[in-house]
Amino acid sequence: MNEEYGEIRIPTRLIEEIEERIKQTEFESVEEYVTFVLEEVIKDVDEEEPEEVFSEEDEAKVKERLRALGYLD
Amino acid sequence: MIVVLAIDALEYDLVEAFGCDNLKQKFYGKTDISEFSEPRTMVLWNSFMTGENREKEVLALGDKEMWNIKLDIKDTFFARFENPKILDLPGFNYDKEQHELERGMLKEFFTAVGDEEKAEIRKKYNSHAFEHHRRIKKEFADALSGDYDFVLGYFSAADVIGHLNFGNRALMKMIYRDMDEIAAGIDDTLIVLSDHGMERIGMFGDHSDHGFWSTGFKDLGNPRITDFAGIIMEISEVE
Repeated sequence: MNEEYGEIRIPTRLIEEIEERIKQTEFESVEEYVTFVLEEVIKDVDEEEPEEVFSEEDEAKVKERLRALGYLD
Repeated sequence: MIVVLAIDALEYDLVEAFGCDNLKQKFYGKTDISEFSEPRTMVLWNSFMTGENREKEVLALGDKEMWNIKLDIKDTFFARFENPKILDLPGFNYDKEQHELERGMLKEFFTAVGDEEKAEIRKKYNSHAFEHHRRIKKEFADALSGDYDFVLGYFSAADVIGHLNFGNRALMKMIYRDMDEIAAGIDDTLIVLSDHGMERIGMFGDHSDHGFWSTGFKDLGNPRITDFAGIIMEISEVE
């Protein structure tokens, strides 16, 4: 399958760290490593519970709890 | 050197769910904090340091004043080490200004009106907590290469960020993975300990009724947080 590619910018220090890290691995390039890591992270998050959305009822509950725990006066 | 990775609100269930093997080490489990009326951070770390349930003394100071507690080292088990290094621990030497600012922003979040304003405060709050996290991480790494016989690093990001973002799994996973990497970099005798865990209230987080512990050397069962002073001193005598 021919995939289309785009460009992203990441800090040079990360690129250098990844270059070091992949020396002893089967990854042939920084791009290959970064693609693998991002796919894993996205897959993991997708498989987990859906993200919660904001509700006023939850906010009131947590506010009360934070007060009981001494975080809010 | 004995190292304690003291992680506020590290939740047992998330350590499992996110596969944080370095935080789990060989033996791990939940701590029993049922003797306390509420899982309050300041009460629990005070009790850890002294080896005694300090709930009554801490609560007697009131919700505002309790955050100013600064125990003398001679009242803690740290004094039994020759050259201990303690980083940012509540009730001992934590960065009061930083944590006051966090609580101030929490208050600001709950009094703000409208989604946009809340989102802006949350962003500022998270960024502030991460900045502090990075600073402690650096200080902790430096301490590990220092000439100390006991190092304790207190990390608050899972708690601070968790209160407003616990429903955001990706964000929580990022924090847990980072803590796991920190644990992976420790070659000395390590105890991972949290005061309490965290449970979800929608997108927010509340303290749960158990803490987390792990060691690489002994199954501690279901210990109380006050047991750790004795456990750590026992190890130090063997070492």
